[in-house]
Amino acid sequence: MLEVFELTKRFKNKEAVKGINFYMEKGEIVGLLGPNGAGKSTTISMISSLVLPTTGDVRLRNESVLKKPEKIRKVLGVVPQDIALYMDLTARENLEFFGRIHKIKKNDLKKRIEEVLEIIGLKDREKDLVKTFSGGMKRRLNIGVALLHEPELIIMDEPTVGIDPQSRNYILETVKRLNEEKQITVLYTSHYMEEVEYLCDRIYIMDHGEVIASGTKDEIKSILSQEQTLVIQVEILKGEFLKGLEALPNIKNISVNDPILKIIVPKKVNILNEIFVLAGETNTNISSVQIETPTLEDVFLHLTGRQLRD
Amino acid sequence: MIGILWGKIRLLFRKPGSFIVTTIICMVFAFFLGKSTYSEVKVPVYSSLPDAEVEEIVNELNKSESFKYVIETEETVKNKVADGTVEAGIELKAESYTLYQVGKTGNYHLINEQLNSFYSEKIRDNAVREQVGDSSDVMETLKKAKANPLFELSVSSFSDQNKWVHDPSLQSLFGFALFFSIYTVAFSVVEILREKQEGIWDRLILSPISKFGMYAGNLLYSLILGYVQIALIFLVFKYGAGVDFHGGFGKTLILIIPYLFTIIAMSIFIAGLVKTIGQFNALIPLISVSFAMLGGAYWPIEIVTSDILLTISKGIPITYGMEILKGVTVSGLSYSDVLLPISILLLMGVALMGVGIRLMESRHV
Ligand SMILES: Nc1ncnc2c1ncn2[C@@H]1O[C@H](COP(=O)(O)OP(=O)(O)O)[C@@H](O)[C@H]1O
Ligand SMILES: [Mg+2]
Repeated sequence: MLEVFELTKRFKNKEAVKGINFYMEKGEIVGLLGPNGAGKSTTISMISSLVLPTTGDVRLRNESVLKKPEKIRKVLGVVPQDIALYMDLTARENLEFFGRIHKIKKNDLKKRIEEVLEIIGLKDREKDLVKTFSGGMKRRLNIGVALLHEPELIIMDEPTVGIDPQSRNYILETVKRLNEEKQITVLYTSHYMEEVEYLCDRIYIMDHGEVIASGTKDEIKSILSQEQTLVIQVEILKGEFLKGLEALPNIKNISVNDPILKIIVPKKVNILNEIFVLAGETNTNISSVQIETPTLEDVFLHLTGRQLRD
Repeated sequence: MIGILWGKIRLLFRKPGSFIVTTIICMVFAFFLGKSTYSEVKVPVYSSLPDAEVEEIVNELNKSESFKYVIETEETVKNKVADGTVEAGIELKAESYTLYQVGKTGNYHLINEQLNSFYSEKIRDNAVREQVGDSSDVMETLKKAKANPLFELSVSSFSDQNKWVHDPSLQSLFGFALFFSIYTVAFSVVEILREKQEGIWDRLILSPISKFGMYAGNLLYSLILGYVQIALIFLVFKYGAGVDFHGGFGKTLILIIPYLFTIIAMSIFIAGLVKTIGQFNALIPLISVSFAMLGGAYWPIEIVTSDILLTISKGIPITYGMEILKGVTVSGLSYSDVLLPISILLLMGVALMGVGIRLMESRHV
């Protein structure tokens, strides 16, 4: 349905997106995962025709849309990263305003507003001013506005940032329902890997403007099939212990979240002995050791040496 | 476009506070300054001329209603001036006058201007009298001509540049209306910038509405807002306070439109230039106050004598707004008589709008 070829975006002094490629089939939920500043929003802006790419192409059904933005705008619903609503209007008035802007006929609009209010679960608050809403409710309405004109493709830019867990679950369920019941194609951007892991059929992981891994969840995780993650909890984390670990030959990556250490090591190697010896030498008491199957977080750690969230 | 107007008007009804407050403040300023500064000021005069002649001069001077000239003794006049209980005192002579004052107030220029034009006319009359000899016939004709309103009207319209007609209540009404409308218009135009920052503008871009429709909707709203405010103020002053528009009321209601257009264009130009909304909010009071001072909104431009200031005033929309509004009321001019200032306003507007929208489009947020 949608393809992106060698897309780059150079700002005055910064290359935000460095030649990324991806595709989406109709009815898929595709995840775009990456830390802040990875270039996700810039990529989305280029796809949705708000920002012109420096080079590269965006194709909708095999037709370049760079010169014909109205084609993609018609089928597209964009949920922006920031809440783009009138705070001094009610939820219903916001929907009515953007509905009018989308030239939806009066009678259709009435019906459509009811449907959208139902989907985002704000029917009972429709007459309240948006500024009185919680963060989660604002986010839901932010999504609702993008659904008004019944888009085939929805692009969501971090739709769950900074909200409570219930609202977050509600949004995730809504996205899933929209996809299953209405076959809406979704590009879901996030820096929360659990969300992407839960929702998405396929995932692109972005960092520093590049796609560093892509595929289904299992495909991506198999990057780590040769590796395992050790989670070690110590009583007191000492500098010498950490230095000693870093010096061990087989350890690929260490991330520290005092007093918990995550270590990625090759599967075959039995490193536990060496770790216990090191602990003894540095008088470090290990309270627990776990061996985990890898998560997307681990993949990111593996690929970049950094954690997704800092 | 209609959709945008609908949304804007909804928002206005939800938060009408600042619109109502500026409208009321404007009315209060225009009302009190129009009344007090100009018409209630007493100016004591004395003279060694015969009483009848002095009385005639004073009656003549008081016709303009700008100041109240009162005959007193030389001593009282000088004492009052020295004490500062009056702004100025005057000695009236046959063909000249002396103005006594302690500090220079705004009224100094107005009084001086009025006496000046009064005496130049008097000297001209005397010259005519000398030329034709003291024939009472000629003086009768002159008097008749002066009393005849038709003749008076035509005199004031073609001699507008030479003879200055001053109406203090209209001066302050027009001045403050044009001044306050800058705030109303500018702060509604800058909403475009806010909507860009909040991402609402992006939503509009992605909708079927055209760029033209987006700007047209927003700017039309600003025009309506500014128009309703000024029209409201004018209506209240005409029907509530009984201010005399000299038959030009309808014309003023039409001729504020070119002025508002220029102010909208100027606002979008500034919005395109600034880096933040904070900068815009800081700039507008600065610009509007200096415009009001230089363009003759606070005091009549006619009393400004500095060539530099007069040259600067040529680049300021308020100057033309005041010229048009005072022209069609006080001076009784027709639409075609004020075509030049209207064209200048429209030209300024088109240029600023063109550059302004370009700047707005090239900025990211
Ligand atoms: N308009 C812009 N001008 C200059 N730099 C920008 C602009 N927009 C984004 N960037 C930079 O590009 C990089 C990617 O930003 P963004 O796409 O917002 O990342 P993400 O959405 O993944 O957090 C960031 O370093 C950001 O500072
Ligand atoms: Mg982003």
